[in-house]
Amino acid sequence: MRQRGSLLAVMLCVVFAAVLPERSGGQARPAPVTGDWLLAHILSDPEQLNPLTSNDAGSSAILGYIVQSLLTRDPRSLELKPLLAEARPVISADKLTYTFKIRRDAHFQDGRKLTGEDVLFSIKAIKCPLVNAPFARVYYESVTDAQLVDEYTIRFNIKEPYFLNETMLGGIDVLPRHYYDPQNLLKDVTVKDLNGDPAKLADNVKRFADHFNKGYSRNPMGSGPYKFQAWKTGQEVELVRDPKYWGIGKPEVDQAYLDRHKYRVINNVDAALTSLKSGALDTMNLQPLQHMQQTGTDRFKQDFDKHEYFSPNYTYLGWNNDHPIFRDKRVRKAMTYLANRKQMVKTILFNLGQVIDGPIYFHRPEYDKTLASIPYDPKKALELLSEAGWKDTDSDGVLDKIVDGKKIPFRFEIKFNSGNATRKSVALTMQDELKKHGIAVTVRELDWTVFLSDVKERKFDAMILGWQMSVTEPDAYQVWHSTQAANKGSNHIAYKNSRVDKILEDYRREFDAKKRVELYREFQKILHDEQPYTFLFTPKSISAVSRRFRGVEVLPIGGLRPLDWWVPAGAQKYSSKSTSN
Amino acid sequence: MGAYLIQRFLLLIPTFIGVTIISFLIMRLAPGDPAELRAGGGLRGAGESGISTEKRGAVDQAVAQWRAQYGLDKPLPIQYAIWMKNLFTLNFGESYKDNQPVVDKIRERLPVTVKLNVLSIFLVYLVAIPLGIYSATHSYSIGDQVTTLFAFVLFALPVVWLGTMAIVFLCGGDFFFLFPPGGLTSIDYSSDWPLWQRLTDQSWHLFLPVLMLSYAGFAGLSRYMRSGMLEQLRLDFVQTARSKGLPERVVIYKHVLRNSLIPMVTILAGILPGLIGGSVIVETIFSIPGLGQLGYEAVLARDFPVVMALFTVSALLTLLGILLSDLLLAVVDPRIAFGRRN
Repeated sequence: MRQRGSLLAVMLCVVFAAVLPERSGGQARPAPVTGDWLLAHILSDPEQLNPLTSNDAGSSAILGYIVQSLLTRDPRSLELKPLLAEARPVISADKLTYTFKIRRDAHFQDGRKLTGEDVLFSIKAIKCPLVNAPFARVYYESVTDAQLVDEYTIRFNIKEPYFLNETMLGGIDVLPRHYYDPQNLLKDVTVKDLNGDPAKLADNVKRFADHFNKGYSRNPMGSGPYKFQAWKTGQEVELVRDPKYWGIGKPEVDQAYLDRHKYRVINNVDAALTSLKSGALDTMNLQPLQHMQQTGTDRFKQDFDKHEYFSPNYTYLGWNNDHPIFRDKRVRKAMTYLANRKQMVKTILFNLGQVIDGPIYFHRPEYDKTLASIPYDPKKALELLSEAGWKDTDSDGVLDKIVDGKKIPFRFEIKFNSGNATRKSVALTMQDELKKHGIAVTVRELDWTVFLSDVKERKFDAMILGWQMSVTEPDAYQVWHSTQAANKGSNHIAYKNSRVDKILEDYRREFDAKKRVELYREFQKILHDEQPYTFLFTPKSISAVSRRFRGVEVLPIGGLRPLDWWVPAGAQKYSSKSTSN
Repeated sequence: MGAYLIQRFLLLIPTFIGVTIISFLIMRLAPGDPAELRAGGGLRGAGESGISTEKRGAVDQAVAQWRAQYGLDKPLPIQYAIWMKNLFTLNFGESYKDNQPVVDKIRERLPVTVKLNVLSIFLVYLVAIPLGIYSATHSYSIGDQVTTLFAFVLFALPVVWLGTMAIVFLCGGDFFFLFPPGGLTSIDYSSDWPLWQRLTDQSWHLFLPVLMLSYAGFAGLSRYMRSGMLEQLRLDFVQTARSKGLPERVVIYKHVLRNSLIPMVTILAGILPGLIGGSVIVETIFSIPGLGQLGYEAVLARDFPVVMALFTVSALLTLLGILLSDLLLAVVDPRIAFGRRN
C-alpha cells in the first residue's frame, strides 16, 4: 500500500551487525547492543496514528515501527522478502490468485498470536467503504475477494493481472482484529460484500466503521519492534522497544536496538537546530542554509555527522501540450535548452541536488543512463524556435507566429503555488532568461488549492509542480497515459502518444523484470525526444546525526534507517530505568 | 441594575450571531479546500516535495469522499445552519484532521495557554504600572524619557526576531545555554519528581516565552498609566490636597493613583479574550502546544470546525469582557449610571 516505513524506516536485515561475532580475527567489529534513546525532530504532530486513515508522511514514518505487513523490501537491494508471511506468495498461472502462508511464530504487542484472521480483517477494514481510508482503498480496488484456507493461509482474488499486485497485497498493514474490532463486527461480512453497494451493508459494518474511524487516532497497536507509548500533543510522540517482540533473535528479521524513540515536535527550524546543538535532539534534517552556514564549527563536527542523500522526488516545468504555443515539440525542446538547470541547482538548491532528464529515479534499473542530458544552449534553442516558425515579424520585441490562421505573440504565464520558494525562483529565472530571447513570461503565484484546481482543469500555459519518484518498481501509467488526461486525471499537461500508451499498458501486465526495463527505456527515449515537461532537478536532503550512534548509513536509494542504529554501552546517554513512568 | 443587565445581555445575542456569520463567511470564502489539502499529504506536504505519482490517481475519489463526510458538498447557508444547530447543544463538531471532538482538543491545550497568558498579563501590569507612575511623576525628566524610549524600542521589536535571537543566543546553540530552546518540560521530566523540581523545570521553560509575550505590552500600558496620571495631576483637587499640606506620597498614591486606575479597568476587561489567543507567534517559536498553535495550524489546514470553535470562544470572551468592563466601570466610578434614569 503506501510506501511507508515498511520500505524505508523499518524492518529488514542488518546482517552485518546481528550475525557477525564480536571479534573476527584482527578486525574488530563490535556487536550492536541495546539501550539508549533516539530523540528525533518532527516539525509538527503527526496527523493521527490510525494506520489506515492517516495520510501524511509523519504518521507513516512512526507507524512503520509499530505495524508490519506480510512482505517487506530489503532496504539495500529492494528485493521483496517475507516478513509476517513465511515466504513470498504462490501466484496462480493466470496471475489472478495469490496465496500467502503466514508465520506461525509472530504475535502482536499484547502477546496475542497473529493469524490469518487478522490479515483477513485488515483487508476487510481497508475495503470497507465506510472506513475513512479512501487512499488506501484505491490501491486495493482490484481485490475481488479473500478467504482463509486454514488458520495460517489466506488467498486473495484479483480482478486483472498486474505485476505490482504482489507488492500491493504484501503491503497490507496487518492489524490485530481483537484490538481494532473487539466485537468482531466484520465477522460475517466478506470482501465481496464490501465491494458491493455500500447502502446494503449491514448495521454491524456501520458500527464497526464508526468505531474504527474515531477510536484509534492515538493508540496504534501492531506486531512491530516498537510499541506506542505516549503522545503528548505538540510535544512528543514516544515509542518503546518491545522486549517481547516476536522477531527478537531471528536472523531473518531485523532487530531493534534503541530502547526508545522520541519524536520531539519543534515547529521552528532555528529552535530545532539550537536544540540539536544543546543535546535536546539527536538527529534532524538540516535546511540548506543551516548546512552551509550554521553547522561548520569544530564543536558541531565533534558531536555530529552530516549525511547527504537524494530525496526521491523531482520538480518539473509542465507545458500544456494542448496549448497553441506548446503543441509543437520543437518549442518545448527549445524551452529545455533555455532552462539553465545546472545553474538552478547551484543557486536555488545551493548545489544540493541533481539535474534530471526523465521521470524515473536514477537509482532504478529502469533508468536509462544512455540518454544525454540536454544542456543550456540558447543558440540551439533559437534555431529550434525559428525552425518552428517563431520570428519577431512586427519588431515589437516579442516573437510571433501565425497559428491556426491567427498571429499570436510568444507570451505565456507560469503558474506555481505560493509559499514554495524553490518554485518561485525557478519561475523567475525562466522569466528572466526568456525575456532575453523575445519571449514574454508572466509569473503567477497561487494558493495551493487554487493552483491545484487550475492544474487539474488544465487552466494554465505552463506550471511548476513536483512528483515523488518510486524507489521500487515505478508505474508511470497515472501520469503519462492519454486516458489520464481526461476527467482531471494526473496527466495534467494532456500528453498523448499512442506508442507510450501501449508501453505503459504492456508494462503493467509484464511479469518479467528484464522486459519491463526494456519497455521503460523506450518510454524514456520517447519522453526525452518530446519534452512534454522540462524536467528540472531532484533535491538532496541532509541529516545531522549524533556521533554516539553506530550503524548510521545512507541507503543506496537514499535516506537513513534509524532501526539499525545503536549506541555502544559506554557512550549511552539515556537509560530507561532513570524514568519509570 | 437588573433590567440593565438583562438588556445588555439580550443585546449580546444578535452581536454574537453576527460575529459567527461573518467568521463563517470569511473562513469559507477564502480559497482552500480542506479535503484537497489533506489529500496533498497534510499541511506540510502541500506539494512541497511533490505528490506521489501513484497516489495522485486516488486523489479525486478521496477528496470527494472527504468532502461528503465533512458536509462540504452542501450549500453554505445549510452548512452554517447545521453548525449553529450543533452549537446549541454545545457540540463544536469533530476536527477534519483526526475525527476527534474539537472540545477535547481545546480542553487539552487550554491550560498551557491560560498559564502563559496569565503570567504574561501579570508581568505586564507589574512592570507597566510602576513605570507609568514614575514617568508621570517625573514627566519630561531624563529618567522619563529614557524609560519611555526603552519601552517603545521594545514595542517596536518584532517578537519573531527577538524570540529567534533569544533561542539562537541563549538556548545552548553556539553561545550561552541559559534557557531551553522550547517545549514545556525537560526530556527526562517525570511526574515522580518532587514538586520543587517540577516547578523549577516548568518555570525554566516558561521564562522566555512569558517574557516574549510581555515585553511589547510595557510601552502601551505604561503610556496609559502615565497619561491617566498626568490628567489627574492637573486637576484642582490635587492642588487642594497639596495645599492642605498632605505629603506628596499621599497625594500621588491615595488621590491621584486611584482615580487614574479607571482606564486600566477598561483595558483589563479587553484582556479576557487575550487569555486564549494572542500567543500564536510565541507558541510557534517556542514549540508550545497551546491554543494559538492549534488555531494557526487549523487555519492553514482549513480545519473549519476547529477554527470556528476558536472564533466562537474568543467572540464570547470578547463580548463578556466588554460587558464586564461596563459593569466594573460603574462599580469603580459611581458617576456612570445604568441605563436611563427616571
